[in-house]
Amino acid sequence: MRRQTGHLDTDVLAEFRAGLITGRRRRAIAAHLTGCTRCTAADRQLAELSALLAAIPAPVMPDGVAQRLDAALAAEVEHKQEAERAVAHHSRNRRRPPRPARRPTLQLVMTRVLVPAAALVVLAAGGYGLSLIGGQSSSSSSATAGSAAEPAAASAAPSAAQANGLNAPSASGAAAYPSFQKSAALGLVPNGTDFLPATLKSQLEAALRAPAASRSAPHPSEPLGACVLRLSSGVRPGTLKLVESARYQGRPAIVIIVSSASGYVAWVVTVGWVAPGCSATSAGVLAVATLPGISAS
Amino acid sequence: MPGADGPPSDAELLRRHVAGDGEAFGELFRRHRDRLWAVALRTVGDPEEAGDAIQDAMISAFRRAGDFRGDSAVTTWLHRIVVNACLDRLRRKAARPAVSAGDEQAFEALVAHDSDPAKTTDTRLDVNAALQILPPQQRAALLVVDMLGFSVADAAIILDTSQGTVKSRCARARARLLPHVAHLRGNRSASESVSPAQGGDA
Repeated sequence: MRRQTGHLDTDVLAEFRAGLITGRRRRAIAAHLTGCTRCTAADRQLAELSALLAAIPAPVMPDGVAQRLDAALAAEVEHKQEAERAVAHHSRNRRRPPRPARRPTLQLVMTRVLVPAAALVVLAAGGYGLSLIGGQSSSSSSATAGSAAEPAAASAAPSAAQANGLNAPSASGAAAYPSFQKSAALGLVPNGTDFLPATLKSQLEAALRAPAASRSAPHPSEPLGACVLRLSSGVRPGTLKLVESARYQGRPAIVIIVSSASGYVAWVVTVGWVAPGCSATSAGVLAVATLPGISAS
Repeated sequence: MPGADGPPSDAELLRRHVAGDGEAFGELFRRHRDRLWAVALRTVGDPEEAGDAIQDAMISAFRRAGDFRGDSAVTTWLHRIVVNACLDRLRRKAARPAVSAGDEQAFEALVAHDSDPAKTTDTRLDVNAALQILPPQQRAALLVVDMLGFSVADAAIILDTSQGTVKSRCARARARLLPHVAHLRGNRSASESVSPAQGGDA
């Protein structure tokens, strides 16, 4: 593996340094290194490379990812505890918990959300009674505010599978997405704001504070509802606060805000993001922001 | 049971999680998540994919905690799950490569983009970009051994392969990376010194 010049290949040097070359060959290389400045320099560079790599500090996990993981973990814990409660009297020594029922739950919620397309969407906003989506002439808006804040008992696999029909009994798995419990269709409300990266958080907070009355009726959109559900599935309580069409850096975008344990999580996505396969990490998510809780004002 | 004094060990947290403690796994994962994030980000080379991979890994570790037998450190086990999740993603992504491994032209473009004068002090960008020219398996080996400082024995567990394979992947990765990093560092003679961890050669 020596080159014609008689010098050592970097590959060979690297193997030599890693202790992969033994015996006579190792001795020959060591002997060569004592007398060859060029190969010695290459050898030293290899050592420096490892040192350079070791010296690079680890990147810190971005807040958005950390928050997402916390939310996903919280959901997982909830699923696990729910599953354990459900089977507690059958067996105390299950080998593995049932898989959380993400897909079935999504199905369940989708049928609830989207089938009665004519109805208006009224989403309970934690403690503030904001009803940002739809909001046209609903009667039941404020009534939902209290129940939506209850911690969601995420449905475990067995109950969700049964509840896949239209009129699922609300006893067991019904509260998986409290925000959608009383809602019907999900559509886009236009928002004239051009969101910009530098001012994103303050603009989002302003959007959250904007009076619901200024919003017009939504146009129900099935893919959008599915995507919003998927986006917010890892966030608890996950009450949907706002879905609006707006602009981001001058280009059409959709803003989605849901409540989280510590405030809100907001996503800005492209219009094209609303498609099968949409997720919190698929291409088209332009920005994710976390907002602290905003006191009612 | 330890824990009243001082923070519980990783193994203790994992045990509590398996026993049904709803807080234990979160505490364990948060304890290591920056390092795990570093592995994920550098292995897949893209924050979005890395976010997906680390979430997959976290959930997988959460569910499979009962399988942990204690024959390696908990961190080794966690790293193994993260690396697996990342390599899985890269395999799936291979059908739609953005920057195919070894594509020197794309690499040069990446470097040209990253090395504008305002950023020349940031070696991290350059090295992270350079890492992406490596095939995933080699990159993962180099990360685990050189960047995270795991022993070859632990790296073999994390990468689910033999120690010899870990060594040869690392060696090939270093040889392949060297010209690029030397070239990058040649562009800024001032930052030659990586003195703290220097040495190891005789």
